[in-house]
Parts: sequence; structure tokens; C-alpha cells
Amino acid sequence: MVLVRALMGFVSLLIFTRILGKEQISQLNLFDYILGITIGNMAASMTTDLSSRAWPHFIGLISWCLLGYLLNVISSKWRYVSKVLEGEPVIVIMNGKIMENVLRKMKFRVAEILELLRNKNVFDVTQVDFAIIEPNGQISVLLKPEFQPATPQDMKIPVSRSGISTELVYDGLIIDENLRQLGKDKHWLMKELKKHGIRNISEVFLVTLNPAGSLYVDKYKDHLKKMTDIGDYKGPF
Amino acid sequence: MRKFLLIAVPILALVLCIMVMLSGNILKQPFGTEDNISQSIETIVQDIKHEDWEAADQNADHLNRAWDKVVRRIQFSAERNTINDLSINIARVRGAIQAKDKAIGLAELSEANEHWENIGN
Repeated sequence: MVLVRALMGFVSLLIFTRILGKEQISQLNLFDYILGITIGNMAASMTTDLSSRAWPHFIGLISWCLLGYLLNVISSKWRYVSKVLEGEPVIVIMNGKIMENVLRKMKFRVAEILELLRNKNVFDVTQVDFAIIEPNGQISVLLKPEFQPATPQDMKIPVSRSGISTELVYDGLIIDENLRQLGKDKHWLMKELKKHGIRNISEVFLVTLNPAGSLYVDKYKDHLKKMTDIGDYKGPF
Repeated sequence: MRKFLLIAVPILALVLCIMVMLSGNILKQPFGTEDNISQSIETIVQDIKHEDWEAADQNADHLNRAWDKVVRRIQFSAERNTINDLSINIARVRGAIQAKDKAIGLAELSEANEHWENIGN
């Protein structure tokens, strides 16, 4: 009985959360977070609360998801509603000065701001030009120009475009579709792999190609003489 | 085809879940003569009223067997508490018949009937 109800709850939750959106946990605002907990709780009750039928829990689940979805649609259509419902970014440090009034209004303590800054690798407030608290509670920091890291552009160093790598072989299998999209063929791939001492495709775990044309090849046998162990406790775990 | 499946499979899964959850009302209906709970209850009520204890005992066994069959069908759409309550009612009815206690027998059957009406709704 619990197994069937668990299956129903699992499938429903999976479908509803997929419909609700692809926001990651870190991008959630407080309401999304609570919505997630509530619908998860309903699915859990639906599974194990045998003193009531599964149907009312399912209706509760579907209603909350529907309202959440509706809220998403409304906030994406009306900017004002979205600002009211989700809040808007707030500047907490401006020109290096902490905005105490804003902090008080947002119920943030200075220690929390400093913690958020440290999370962003900023340990000295004097380096900060602007700091903005986003609606999801994270901080965005703009350092003063003199503290910003130098870029190749500043140094006038020519760079080639890195772009996104494409997988050509995964788990010993050639991904033909990606090869075709890049205008390459198996013959070319095997020729390139031969340069890495590979005769058979089954020896390779992963091959990727970046837009600059460099190939990353990882074989199943890594031939590493000495393995670095970062663990500080003898297992097994 | 893949896009169609991407939409059709979740919809089908949800429809299946809803059907299982709402199946109680349909599945509690008798599929034959061996699983007619309300009729069995009514028959035992008449037996007890006429103090025909032997027939009541046989019909109580019949009700128990019918209930065992039906409970397997409705377990996914009914409350466990109601299922347990009805099982206890049937056990008490059998006790009342053995003790030839008309009052308890009729009271338990009336409660069993109430549970039966509510189950799956």
C-alpha cells in the first residue's frame, strides 16, 4: 500500500517540479523555498499517512503547484508584480560606504554582510565599491577599480576564444551527432586519437573538442604512478 | 515522436495515479455474488433479527471472505483506518453471533454499513 502511494507521490512530484521550473536551490527566493518544502511535505504525507486517502493530499499538491506556477507566470508577465512578490536587489554598500538604514530595513546585520563578502573572497570592506543583496539572499560585489584583477585586455595580451567543449566520445562510444555538427567524421577522430597512442575507441573514456581545436582525451587506463590522496582518514567509508 | 512521448508519458502517469486514487468507488462495487458487502450485511441483519444464529454465522463467514476480496482492490484508494474499523466490526459481529447477542450484532452491523458507505468516498 505504502509502495503504491510512494510511487504515485514520487511520479507526481517529479512531474510537477519539472513543470514548475528549473531554478536551482541557490537561485530560490524565500517563497520558492517554502513552496518546495510544502509540496515535498504533502508528497511525504501522501505516501505514509495511511489514515487518510491519497486523493486529498494529491489535490493539495496539485493546488500548491498550480498556484506556484501561476505566480511564476504572473511575475514573468508583470514586472511590478514580480518586484512586489520577489523583492528587488538592494544596494547595501555604495561607494565603499555601508548603508545602515538599508540594512536595518532588510533586517541584515553587518556581520552577515561581512560573511557574505568573505564568501565572495572579499576580506576587506574598503575594497568594495558596490555590494548588492539579490532577492535570493546572495551578495553581488563590484570591487573598486584598483582592486579588480587584471584581465588579458588590461595587459593587452591576445587570447584565443575558448568557448564550450563538445563531447565526441563518452564512455567508449562515439557521439556521431556531435561529430556531424562539428563537420568532422570518424576517420578524422581516429587519426587524432592515434596521435595520443589510441588504436581502439574502447580504450577511451572521454574525448572533447573545444572551438580552438584542442582535443581533451581521457583513457580508461590513466597510467598514474603516484596517486594523490587528499583524505586524512583511513577508510573504508 | 520524442516530443510527443515527453508530454504523453507524464500525462499518462498522472492520469494513472488519479485513476488509482479514485478507483475506490468503482472497485468497491460487487464483481459477482461472492463480493457483495452491502448485501451480505443486510442478509446478516435479517438473520439476527429473526434470531437465526446458524444462518447468521454462515453469512458472517461469507461476509468475511467477501471483505478479504474487496479490501485487496480498494486498499490504494481508501483510508487504512476505515479498512481496519470495518475489519474490527466484522470480527465483533462474529463474536456477537456466537454469543447470540442481538443488540451488539445489530449495532456492529449498522456501524459496518456506515463504514462501507463512506469507504473510498
